[in-house]
Amino acid sequence: MNTIDATEHYETSAHDRPPSLLTIILDTNPHAWALLSPTLPLSTAIANILVFINAHLASNYANEVAVVSSHTSQATWLYPVEKFPNNNNNNHLDPDGDIPMPTQQPQPPSNTTTTTNINKYRPFRIVEEQVSSHLHNLMTQTTPSTLQSTTSTMMAGALTLALSHINRRTLAWNEAHGGDIDTSNPNDPSSTTSTSSSNTKGTAESTLQSRILILSVSSSTGSAHQYIPIMNAIFACQRLHIPIDVCKVSGDAVFLQQASDATKGVYMALDEPKGLLQYLMMAFLPDQRSRRHLVLPTRVDVDFRAACFCHRRVVDVGFVCSICLSIFCEPLGDGVCLTCGSRLDVSDYGAKPAVVARKKKKKKVKGNGVSAAGTPTPTPTPGP
Amino acid sequence: MAAAPSSRPFEYLESLAGTVFYKLYQQPSTALAIFRRMLPDLAKCFVMALLYLKDPLPAADLEAWVKSESLKERDNALSILGRLHILSNTVTADNVRAYKVTDPFATSLRHALTGADQTQSFGVLSHVPAGSEVSIPDLDEYARRQWEGVLGYMVGTGGMGAPQVTLSKGVKELLQAGHLVEIRDRRVEITQDGFAFVLQDVSTQVWHILILYVESASAIKMDSVEVLSFVFLLSSLELGKSYEKNHLSSKQLRMLTDLADFGIVYQESPDAPRFYPTRLATTLTSDSSALSNPLLGSLSGPAGEASSKAGTGFIIIETNYRVYAYTSSPLQISLIALFTTLKYRFPNLITGKITRQSVRRAVEMGITADQIISYLSTHAHPQMRKHNVSRSTSNQAGIPPSVLPPTVVDQIRLWQLERDRVKATSGFLFKDFVSLAEYEAPCRYAEEIGVLAWKSDRKRMFFVTRHEQVAAFLRSRK
Repeated sequence: MNTIDATEHYETSAHDRPPSLLTIILDTNPHAWALLSPTLPLSTAIANILVFINAHLASNYANEVAVVSSHTSQATWLYPVEKFPNNNNNNHLDPDGDIPMPTQQPQPPSNTTTTTNINKYRPFRIVEEQVSSHLHNLMTQTTPSTLQSTTSTMMAGALTLALSHINRRTLAWNEAHGGDIDTSNPNDPSSTTSTSSSNTKGTAESTLQSRILILSVSSSTGSAHQYIPIMNAIFACQRLHIPIDVCKVSGDAVFLQQASDATKGVYMALDEPKGLLQYLMMAFLPDQRSRRHLVLPTRVDVDFRAACFCHRRVVDVGFVCSICLSIFCEPLGDGVCLTCGSRLDVSDYGAKPAVVARKKKKKKVKGNGVSAAGTPTPTPTPGP
Repeated sequence: MAAAPSSRPFEYLESLAGTVFYKLYQQPSTALAIFRRMLPDLAKCFVMALLYLKDPLPAADLEAWVKSESLKERDNALSILGRLHILSNTVTADNVRAYKVTDPFATSLRHALTGADQTQSFGVLSHVPAGSEVSIPDLDEYARRQWEGVLGYMVGTGGMGAPQVTLSKGVKELLQAGHLVEIRDRRVEITQDGFAFVLQDVSTQVWHILILYVESASAIKMDSVEVLSFVFLLSSLELGKSYEKNHLSSKQLRMLTDLADFGIVYQESPDAPRFYPTRLATTLTSDSSALSNPLLGSLSGPAGEASSKAGTGFIIIETNYRVYAYTSSPLQISLIALFTTLKYRFPNLITGKITRQSVRRAVEMGITADQIISYLSTHAHPQMRKHNVSRSTSNQAGIPPSVLPPTVVDQIRLWQLERDRVKATSGFLFKDFVSLAEYEAPCRYAEEIGVLAWKSDRKRMFFVTRHEQVAAFLRSRK
């Protein structure tokens, strides 16, 4: 009789593993890929990523994948595309894609290739065809003139797209699998007030497991003007327990280090870009459940620098508004905070403000209007 | 062991000889299906990490990759990979113990991932003239009817209520050969195994049948490797698409006909040039979480009405052991009657109570408490799921929510234990260790890989269910 104990019945009724949703944000900045082409041409990288996607899909029958391209001028979907209007055709109908649009793109390729590579597991082939055809469209639309205006990448937009997709899929999954939806949903918003962790953890086991993988090639200093939206996206991920994994192929990813650090994701800078596939397979394939058992690469010395709100420069030492925590790179001329309008007394500036500023500047951040949600969180950055 | 995928197909595969694996793994679809269905999460990570490595990975590196508190999971994963002949031990150039993915498997899995193979192991799509395609709801309906027909035949409700499905002789023989039913005086009687079978969830049942089929195939001169590969091929097809038959061998065509009787594939007629996999086939490699699909809903609920709602269950159990089941299916009612005392019957609802007598009666028929519990939780009403999820998240974060009232679950087990005082486990006894240290290491190892059944520190003996790895471990220490 003593074989019965209080815990035994939980095992049999435990739901076995829910599927995971992997959202890949691919930085397609042509400037950066041009620099990389001697070691890792874009085509090779795409081939590697596709194999990686297939490996992810192979791991579980219900696993899902989504691919977003973060280009110089726009962030756009590479897969899945049915639900989203094709920006290429200049029909800017519904940018959030709520209305499914019939697209002409995916159909012709799938028909023509059916006969050639018939021997591929169908889900794999559908993803590959869509990703490559949409990437091709994206590249053909990119003209030298569009590239001249900027050298950075739309990382903030891509992160936002990824988050909204994850949110939609999570809701849909919960709905389709009954039960969980009523409890898990209140939890997410409510964690704004309570400090989340314990109650969301319980349901995280039984809902869709999402994570984001960013393949970064651009230098983020170029995108300092996106600092605020990027940080907001990071905090959203943190709250939803979505790890952001960063695979840095080249460039320097200041904000992305903070992203993986804050969300407990994997951060890896590739020493040998040629070995991209092996890096992906080893470090980025395990999902949240397996990660509990694995020692994962993270970064110890995270670059916590922030960008100032006035000139979007990345600063080591700056000035922080004591009311709204906005960061500025130089003392404000009239003593009025540009974000919240508070009048600040900076009259005795010049003595040694750096002592105070240094400490705070560590993880200072804030959202310029969203402040209610943004302010409490900047402090977490516990070690890995 | 919670990470180990469900056992029946795994046990069967494990019993096969190494050469059979060698032949099986030639097919990319087989490699993919086994990878997806048979391996625990951690094992999948290992395989993928090693798949594209040129050189074997030193064992020490692999061990360092896993957190020290997860030793048990690691050894379990490695042990499963070894038993399925996926990972093998080698030595690197400088004589360090190392792991690599064995060859036909690695090549096939790589082919599956890159689409580079030429063996048509993922089937050939058929181009159907528009309009004559069979829709997914039709396929689900066909699969449901056939499958319920099989179950109905077993429990003897086939004639009542539900439209009679004609079962072929092959199906009946297979059920008999698997000792799921017996024919006595020309009447079909279900056996103990049969009771256990009907209470399982659908995907386990399908695997059970397929393995019976593979076993019986060798009796009728079909190569079990060919049959198995074809099963795995079916599992990788896409629902709602039709596939060409003309490149299939005559044996495979024969299998198609047999499987169509179970509702696993659909063909318009035995001579039709194409076939459709049904959901029973395409979800073979998913684990049961993917099973809350329309098929299961329609299989368990009243025909027709439930098929529109995904993942419908129909049983409600209260903490006072009362059972309410919203069903009018004679099959489901007779299943529930196996372990409950029925009280009232209404057009769409039956009520009853789980009692000590009813559970003991079920146990005497060979049904186990686990089967009853898993049947109840598989078919639990969405209302119960909702209720229990909300309750358990509030007070016990981290523990997966239990759908059934814990008191009922425990009591069912206790009632079973009243009868089952002795449990037999076949295995191997290790004894006569000279020192305590010599005894402890292999004992701990056996525990980590999950084969330890019993041990006595005082007598320095322990009992394992499998001895190969423990023996290898002992040898490696000499």
